[in-house]
Amino acid sequence: MMFRLGPFVLAVLLPALVQADPLRVITADGAITEIVYQLGMEARLVAVDTTSGYPPATQSLPKIGYLRALPFEGVLAMKPDLLITSEQAAPKKNLDRLTRAGVMVETLPSAWSPEAALARIRSVGDLLGEPGRAALLVTALETEIRRVQRSASARERRPKVLFMLAAGDHSVMLAGEGTAASALLEAVNADNAVSGVMGYKPANREAILASQPDAIVIAESTPGQFDIDSWPELARLQAWQAGHRLVADSMLLLGFGPRLPQAMAAVNRVMPSDARVADHDS
Amino acid sequence: MIRDATGRFGYTPSLVVVVSAAAVVALVSVSSGAYPLSVADILRVLAGRDASDPVASMVLLDVRLPRFLLGFLVGAVLSVSGALLQGLFRNPLADPGLIGVSAGASLAAIAVIVLGGTWLGGWLALFGEWALPVAAFLGGSATVLLAWRIAHRAGQSAVATLLLAGIAINAVAGAATGLLTFYATDDELRSLTFWTMGSLGHAGWDELLIGAPFMVLAILVAPWLARPLDAFLLGESVVGHLGYRPDRVKKAAILVVGLGVGAAVAVSGLIGFVGLVVPHLVRQLLGASHRVVLPFSALVGGTLLVAADSLARVVVAPAELPIGLMMALIGGPFFLGLLMRRKVM
Repeated sequence: MMFRLGPFVLAVLLPALVQADPLRVITADGAITEIVYQLGMEARLVAVDTTSGYPPATQSLPKIGYLRALPFEGVLAMKPDLLITSEQAAPKKNLDRLTRAGVMVETLPSAWSPEAALARIRSVGDLLGEPGRAALLVTALETEIRRVQRSASARERRPKVLFMLAAGDHSVMLAGEGTAASALLEAVNADNAVSGVMGYKPANREAILASQPDAIVIAESTPGQFDIDSWPELARLQAWQAGHRLVADSMLLLGFGPRLPQAMAAVNRVMPSDARVADHDS
Repeated sequence: MIRDATGRFGYTPSLVVVVSAAAVVALVSVSSGAYPLSVADILRVLAGRDASDPVASMVLLDVRLPRFLLGFLVGAVLSVSGALLQGLFRNPLADPGLIGVSAGASLAAIAVIVLGGTWLGGWLALFGEWALPVAAFLGGSATVLLAWRIAHRAGQSAVATLLLAGIAINAVAGAATGLLTFYATDDELRSLTFWTMGSLGHAGWDELLIGAPFMVLAILVAPWLARPLDAFLLGESVVGHLGYRPDRVKKAAILVVGLGVGAAVAVSGLIGFVGLVVPHLVRQLLGASHRVVLPFSALVGGTLLVAADSLARVVVAPAELPIGLMMALIGGPFFLGLLMRRKVM
């Protein structure tokens, strides 16, 4: 039996050995982890960072800590061939040390547009030695993204959207310019209602009333975190009352991973139709 | 048996105990970590021979050894600074945070993180990867000088004024840090946590090279101030009668603290608690003479910080806990126990 299986096993293993694909992989970035799962390559993951919470199966993997404070020994102890992370990874010194210790460290740029998000999926596919799977996934996502964008560009006017981030019990931040939130709005042909502010800033209740958005999007870091009862200003906005509102998971909305078409579609769905935009103008 | 008539421990046995504890902690620190190394490999690397694991020598010599040395120096210099300030202010609450030196150092570092892309771009270009530590060091020293100038205006330096100036400087530095935090982007915000929680996670020979000279100098100069500081315990006027110049003593102590703490914050961020607790611990066990308190604080402080760091990097492995957190977790209950055992004074 063993004799007969021997050549067969060798024939299966040999190509893998020759190509030297990374067999033990660590991902340190929620979106990159999602990509690995979407490519069906999760069997190679030996650990992830604490921003990797989706899909739920990531819970069973060892956690190497936060991607902005990666420990050298902790990562090395998992004996990875490859560490895929994003440019937010820190400290740089530990990344250099990992490289010197023989770990292949790949730092991918942040993806804040559909094109960049797809390019990142291709990069991850190349790194895992599975460009074919990545190309299939990219094609599928591209079709969905185009469909959402066609519907979004059919609107006559770009709607103004108030984008908020609920991160603690009482802490709600307004997403300004230069954020992933702004980039997501751009992707569905919408404008950020908060202009002239960079980054995420604590929400000012009067500014919410003054912003007069056409739609409201709220990203929660844990489900059910946002409570409209503590934000009467929002409830009074016409957009909220008319149902032009979305409350969703922040990793889904802001990750720019393989769930980007889902995120774009969800945001696009709550935009007012042209008629309502016109009403609002008069 | 090792306690003397007043219930305190003898110096020589205490020294033996503390040095052995330091040696044990050193061994534990260098031989433990998230990356598994065999005892045989550790011994081979330490003997200068090739280990069976090719990464072993890098893990030991480039990561754990500098981390141990840096941790020990930071713990030592923070404790010595705490002892100096407690003696100088005759105030048991004094620690390097009090006169604003830690706040000034971290403010400068945070300013470089947040404004490095815009107004302070030239600073980054000038110092490259050293921009942060150099800024922290200058920030700490500048704060010390400022506090000193404010307290020294009437020709004489009043310790109470220096203390109050420190509180005001802390408030202003805290507000400025808050303002910078407000303008920080999401990314910058997260790298600020290093300067508020403290970390030895990136310690290497480079950090040791810039930080160690200042910290060693501060630790070695401190004992020269022991006798005049003992005189301070009897009251400021006594210092002059005993032949010391109070102003010079104060100036020297402040400079030593600025130098040491500025360098410590520059390489490891804000690590609280150790500077406050260790001098108390030493005084409880060995008496209040600064000739004893200063050197023992250095040894105990270094040992304690390295012990806390060794734990911090294994308890949640492969991740690491912030060292400041671990320090407070170990030191807090210990300190409370010490206080409860103490007779009412």
